[in-house]
Amino acid sequence: MSSFLSVSGLCRYYDGAAAVDNINFEVSEGEFVALLGPSGCGKSTTLKMIAGLEQPDAGDININGKSVLSESPGKRNLSMVFQSYALFPHLSVKENIVFGLKARSVPKAEQKKRLDSAVDMVDLRPHLDKKPGQLSGGQSQRVALARSIVSNAPLCLMDEPLSNLDTKLRADMRSEIRSLQKKLKLTVIYVTHDQVEAMSMADKIILLNKGSIEQAAEPEIFYEKPETTFVASFIGHPPMNLISCEDVQIGVRPEHVSLVDESGLNVVVNESDYQGSETIITTTYQGSIIRAILEGKQSIPSGSSIKVRWEPASEHHFSTKTSKRVDTRPGLLPFQ
Amino acid sequence: MNRITHYLSTGLAWFIGFIWLFPLIYAVWAAIHPSEFATRFSLFAPLTLDNFKEAWNQAPFPRYMINTIAITMIILAGQLVLCTLAAYALARMQFKGRGFMFALILMQLMVVPEILIVENYQTLAGLSLIDTYWGVALPYLASAFGIFLLRQTFKTVPEDLENAARIEGCSLLGIIWKVYVPLAKPTYLAFSLVSISYHWNNFLWPLVVTNTENSRPLTVGMSIFGAPESGVDWSIISAGTLISVGPLLILFLIFQRQFVQSFMQAGIK
Repeated sequence: MSSFLSVSGLCRYYDGAAAVDNINFEVSEGEFVALLGPSGCGKSTTLKMIAGLEQPDAGDININGKSVLSESPGKRNLSMVFQSYALFPHLSVKENIVFGLKARSVPKAEQKKRLDSAVDMVDLRPHLDKKPGQLSGGQSQRVALARSIVSNAPLCLMDEPLSNLDTKLRADMRSEIRSLQKKLKLTVIYVTHDQVEAMSMADKIILLNKGSIEQAAEPEIFYEKPETTFVASFIGHPPMNLISCEDVQIGVRPEHVSLVDESGLNVVVNESDYQGSETIITTTYQGSIIRAILEGKQSIPSGSSIKVRWEPASEHHFSTKTSKRVDTRPGLLPFQ
Repeated sequence: MNRITHYLSTGLAWFIGFIWLFPLIYAVWAAIHPSEFATRFSLFAPLTLDNFKEAWNQAPFPRYMINTIAITMIILAGQLVLCTLAAYALARMQFKGRGFMFALILMQLMVVPEILIVENYQTLAGLSLIDTYWGVALPYLASAFGIFLLRQTFKTVPEDLENAARIEGCSLLGIIWKVYVPLAKPTYLAFSLVSISYHWNNFLWPLVVTNTENSRPLTVGMSIFGAPESGVDWSIISAGTLISVGPLLILFLIFQRQFVQSFMQAGIK
């Protein structure tokens, strides 16, 4: 038995330019997969093609081993949560949730049963008769979730569902969506540009850049073993330092850089950015920027020279030519 | 300074309102007084309803009324259905020549309907629809104005709403009916009002295409009723006019607030 969802050779062109360029991936049942990438990388287009809202120019999409390309969105047995929530403003919360059930002529009793259990799951009971205009962003997103839950579709597509919410609410909703997904054993494809969402929620991350997959792996692999300089510079807060050195680029995470008194790299401090529990220091070394995360408040005046170093084991190497990871060059330290 | 302009504009508004209302006030005056007071103002002129009785008996008003209502409703129903479908296609469907098609429809707005009267008459005669409801209604069943208005409104509906409805299993007609139509309600209301008042009062085309009481609407009936050769009695004509504009006037007064609101929302002035 093959995987639950498989995407193969998917392409989509806009005016001759490839928005999605030969994308392949597989998703097994019950998996939470994040499609991550900067804006314009093709992640939303990919999602829309899976949903059937857009037709691919080449490639195939299989759900449960069957190609769904000729099926309309409504027949693909999936649900979708939109960034804009896509609630019908003229319908009450209740009517919004059962909209799809009515369109599919699900019996009234069954509608009510599913509505009741979904409403309790997302905590919307007091708001059932309100109109979407009277709801807060978080509540609107819950209605969208409930609409997806009542459909009983095994596959749920989410298009940046949290990006219109404030930071605190976003953190709450992250864990809520994750626990809902586990409880309902949903297969989720989650499009986001926020690495924190991808890292904290997903079983697997697919990082896209300019319509192609840069890397597809578990979150910890993304952190520990980035395959390209793009991945390295996308993941992490702040992202990995990349230092050019002959024919390789050396990557070191800021949290692995430490301040030393001697036998370190001579760098010049540009600025220190105090963030409460830590201070991020930005320095320059031969034209490359090196950031270091130091504990507590550190005030180092700009322009002063300091020494930094890191453990050789926390070093990553990328070929300058291909930007790809090379593991055959151990022990290359810019300082001895 | 501000206060002066305020009083000035209020005064001007009252003045224009009075000019606009004057014919109606005169009609009421003439209709509820004996005919010798039709052109003479006297505060103590005796009131009477005889003019209404007379007018009602002289012309088959109930029949005219039914004709007008039927014709107006046929036109309105046709316009709402056809304009909705055309507007959706022009707003949301991708097809070759869409822009050209829309330009053609807009161009049609610039053609004065009266110059097509002969051509239309020939076509309808060919279809043997002269002197029928359909004969009066057919040339107006699609409205370029309605298509334009609804297209503009449909374009403001977020595409995600349509996408959500598609994923929830709605058919194309289902999406139009359940998403676009409810969201365009103010536009529908505003357009309906314009359409009803235009076709209720339309005169030239019905005059040409109707021959008998079978399809003759109020406006045409009134003109025959008030023709000079039958002797002009302003009081009776006024009474007849009030009978024919009455239903529309009452309808407007009842729904005044909704109409004004939907005009504001639909952005028509």
